[in-house]
Amino acid sequence: MSKATAETIVRIEDLSVNFDATQAVEHVNLEVAAGEIVGIVGESGSGKSVTALTLMGLVADSATMGTGRILFGDTVLQEAGKPRDKALYRRFQGEQMTMVFQEPMTSLNPTKKVGVQVEEMLLLHTELSKEERHQRVCDSFLSVGLKEPEKVFASYPHQLSGGMRQRAMIAMATILHPKLIVADEPTTALDVTIQNQIIELLREINQKEKNAMIFITHDLNLARRLCHRIAVMKDGQVVECGATEDVFADPKADYTKRLIEAVPSRMKPKVQVTVPEGVETGSAAAGDTEHRAERQKPVAVVEHLNVYYRDGGGFFSRKGKQKVVKDADFTIYRGEVLGLVGESGCGKSTLSKAILGMNKEIEGEIKHFSTRPQMIFQDPYSSLNPCKTVEWLLTEPLRAAGELDAAYKMSAADRKAQAYDMLRKIGMDEKYLDRKPSQLSGGQRQRISIGQALITRPGLVIADEPVSALDVTLQAQIMELMRKLQDEMHMAYLFISHDINVVYQMSDRIMVMKDGQIVEQGKTEEIFRSPKDPYTQMLLRES
Amino acid sequence: MGKGAMGKFKNLYFWIGLFMTVIALVWAVLGFFWTPYSTTAMSAAEKFQAPSLRHLFGTDNFGRDIFSRVMKGAGTTVLVGTLVVLISGGLGILIGALTGYFGGILDEFVMRFVDAVNGFPSILLALVMISILESGRHNLILSLGIVFTPSFIRIVRSEFIRLRDADYISRARLMGVGKLRILFVHILPNIFSTFWVSVMIGFNNAILAESGMSYLGIGVLPPNASLGNMLSDAQGYLMRAPWYALAPGLTIVWIVLGFSLLSEGIRRNAGEVSGL
Amino acid sequence: MQYRMTKLIGKKLITLIMTLFLVSVAAFLAFQIIPGDVVNAILGTEATPEREAKLREELGLNDPPVVRYLHWIGGVLKGDLGRSYRYSKSMNEMMPVAELIGDKLPVTLWLAALAVLIIIVVSIPLGVLWAQGKSRFLDVLFNVLTQTVMAIPSFFLGILVTYLFGMVLHWFQPGGYVSYQTDFWGFLGYLVFPAISVAIPKIAMTARFLRNSMLTEKSADYVRTAKSKGCTDRQVMYGHVLRNAMMPVVTFLGMIIAEIVAGSIVVEQVFGLPGVGRLLISSISNRDFPVVEILILYITAVVIIVYFLVDLLYRVIDPRIREM
Repeated sequence: MSKATAETIVRIEDLSVNFDATQAVEHVNLEVAAGEIVGIVGESGSGKSVTALTLMGLVADSATMGTGRILFGDTVLQEAGKPRDKALYRRFQGEQMTMVFQEPMTSLNPTKKVGVQVEEMLLLHTELSKEERHQRVCDSFLSVGLKEPEKVFASYPHQLSGGMRQRAMIAMATILHPKLIVADEPTTALDVTIQNQIIELLREINQKEKNAMIFITHDLNLARRLCHRIAVMKDGQVVECGATEDVFADPKADYTKRLIEAVPSRMKPKVQVTVPEGVETGSAAAGDTEHRAERQKPVAVVEHLNVYYRDGGGFFSRKGKQKVVKDADFTIYRGEVLGLVGESGCGKSTLSKAILGMNKEIEGEIKHFSTRPQMIFQDPYSSLNPCKTVEWLLTEPLRAAGELDAAYKMSAADRKAQAYDMLRKIGMDEKYLDRKPSQLSGGQRQRISIGQALITRPGLVIADEPVSALDVTLQAQIMELMRKLQDEMHMAYLFISHDINVVYQMSDRIMVMKDGQIVEQGKTEEIFRSPKDPYTQMLLRES
Repeated sequence: MGKGAMGKFKNLYFWIGLFMTVIALVWAVLGFFWTPYSTTAMSAAEKFQAPSLRHLFGTDNFGRDIFSRVMKGAGTTVLVGTLVVLISGGLGILIGALTGYFGGILDEFVMRFVDAVNGFPSILLALVMISILESGRHNLILSLGIVFTPSFIRIVRSEFIRLRDADYISRARLMGVGKLRILFVHILPNIFSTFWVSVMIGFNNAILAESGMSYLGIGVLPPNASLGNMLSDAQGYLMRAPWYALAPGLTIVWIVLGFSLLSEGIRRNAGEVSGL
Repeated sequence: MQYRMTKLIGKKLITLIMTLFLVSVAAFLAFQIIPGDVVNAILGTEATPEREAKLREELGLNDPPVVRYLHWIGGVLKGDLGRSYRYSKSMNEMMPVAELIGDKLPVTLWLAALAVLIIIVVSIPLGVLWAQGKSRFLDVLFNVLTQTVMAIPSFFLGILVTYLFGMVLHWFQPGGYVSYQTDFWGFLGYLVFPAISVAIPKIAMTARFLRNSMLTEKSADYVRTAKSKGCTDRQVMYGHVLRNAMMPVVTFLGMIIAEIVAGSIVVEQVFGLPGVGRLLISSISNRDFPVVEILILYITAVVIIVYFLVDLLYRVIDPRIREM
């Protein structure tokens, strides 16, 4: 793309945005030309969304513009020191610039028909008659790949699937052929396959309409696939900006390098633990054979397992039984990481709950060869009891174990000593003992969560999407920590994720699950080299 | 942390509410032990005196000191409110925790009942209960206690249902923590802020219901002083001695308003801490 | 769609009837377990063994409870509501409950209807105005005002209204009630003040509820979408927010109506209105159980029917519930 010829649609000059005392965006410069897709990439809290919302005139009223100005074509939309001119903005919003949001379900009005919501665009900005409007809405539905426009028109948001809703949002954003479309994480709430369809659709629209597009994402891989140029943001600043391939090939800023490194990818070596020098080097060979023998012993065997889900079950309603997991059959061996990958709703969480004995509606057999298995959850915010201190959180599992089994019985002082010990293992120290979860960062919470699961030394730990809620740089740290602890404590992990790249980096063996069935399992390298099942092949191709 | 403490100072609702509540409570409790004048001593010479330094709230149709009687009445009202909340809150926690956590047929049954009762105006139910049990202070406390229990059950139950599937409770089950310990050590402290707010609302409703029923002559009966039955007497002399009605009425408003402001203040502080 | 709706209404109606049946059983049973004997209560000092036995026979107290219930409910369904223990029509005839209630019912219903009307008309604009959050002063004022008003018990409010509008301003004459049979407009005019007393605290509650509901909706994602389309603040408010915010308010209003039915009991006493509520109170004090039973059944029916209508209304405005 030659920038000299393309018309500049929008220009952000030296933009700073403050909320009360905190600065959310600092001196950001960005230009987007017609026909160009610019990605703004950053972790949560980096200021990428605030930048976009400020550009669109949608940022909360409590935000003030500290410096800079925003230009749309030749018009100054907003300037530092002047209040936002809502009337001026309304001339551009909808007609010239539109936005696609992250959550298509909540971004649509739940009590209005989808068609009517799209039609509102025409009602606000055109003089078309009722019939003409209806026709145009249906046409726009067709153009974004919604097959039955009349039916979609008359549907309410909850009656459509997530992908359809996002297509309807895109239809709304494109119906007036605006010069600028801002897409804020438009695929984050969707499954991988639908994610790809939406990305392709956005690319198509950009090529056909020759409009300017800003694509906001936390996902570097996605940005790489779609954007012509990317701007990397951190702590409110643009740390690097350039043509996408240039940035990837030769990142200038340290942060960009770290970010690119942290992204889970098959092109990179797996997560390894670096053994500190001079430790156990002598017995390494002996330990290795011992290790191999260990790995032949199973910690859990699952045989022909069917798991059901009962819906309804009220007093008067008939009970429906749905098979969620079909004929699962596998073994988890001591000291290994078994990866389980599949899209949301494929039954992977149900399977893990069944293994833990939290689901009673099962057929088949689950045999355990270790003490009580434990679990690490996805969301570090909800997996720790919010009104307890770190000390309580770490000693409670020991107390409970002592009550169940005399072998684990220990004094309160011993429990506290163990808690100290675990804190150090998970890379924290005793000054955190009195803190409550609300006083910890997301990464620290997930560390405590891991510590809580491991403190009773279980033979098997099920980790259900343990890094999906975290930023990429944190993801890498947590995965490394999990590997390190496994090395020290020799337990097995069942590692569950929707992201095949994350699973690749963690696992010794992999199972792929689709619609409740395990379609393929085997050694990680083998599956990645030569996937047999078409679904696995598709997953590998798409991500 | 510092911001939370600052927020408390800035939160006027909290401080005004606390001020009003403390004054009301001290005044009411004091009334059990000491009043400036006897609450029963009549004096024909002093009847219908307007408020003055000698009789702060004036005197009534028998020449009794209204200030002293309001003190006693406020004591009764606060005592009834407290006991009612203790009964209904305690039962609510017990039943709500068990039905919410375990669910099942018992829960269905209790909930049908609770829903049916909750739909009905509480004063009406209390009336029905009183008509079965006969009027009087003890029956009033018992009736209101029972009548307010379903709303507590509902709140506690829905909190337990919300939390029983929380990740950290699933986790406690995986650790093998005993059921009672999960209920009362792992879950209960987490519902405290919600519960506290509903206790305050319940206390206010109990006071309003008590005074309403005493006003109707089926709650606290004379000669026991209660703000409600004082108002009922005062209504007949509204033209001659408006202060007779204003004193007990405004006292009720003072107590209830103080408590609402306090609970609103607490709610706002809690909201600030959790970032709501 | 049409068929499903009819089926749903049918199902709800069956539940409604079942609930009423259960309540009638409960109301009947409750008054069977009361301590103290009814016969003694009626006859008082005039009791002799013969007269007691005769009355017992007359009232059917010798039959088993099931027979008595069937007899009672059968009568109720045919319009015979039983006879009062306390009021007499003539020397030897006890007053039929139906006659006792008949001319009191309209008073209570008109009072409730008037109060509901006042609440809806005043609280909705107030809530909307409040939610717009134009000035901080208005916000604090409304907040303090509503908190204060909600702290006033309805009977005290009634007394204040009587004093202020009746005795100081002379806008109406306290105790000067006219029957709806003689002068309907005079009757309504008198009812306005009791209705205001009932309505004021509920207006505060409803306005607060609507305001909170609107503030919640205002921060919803779809509002941002509407703004991104170029809607003005007014278009966002009335085109998107209000309808969604009204949905919980509908349920809330249902609850309020149920409470008004009970709240009017107290206010009838304050203003000396000859309504059903006052009858209930005096019947309770007099232990006149046939009247109490019928009144409970009646109030229950009103409450249940209100909830039924609210439920239907809710389904009409919320497409998400409609299909369940």
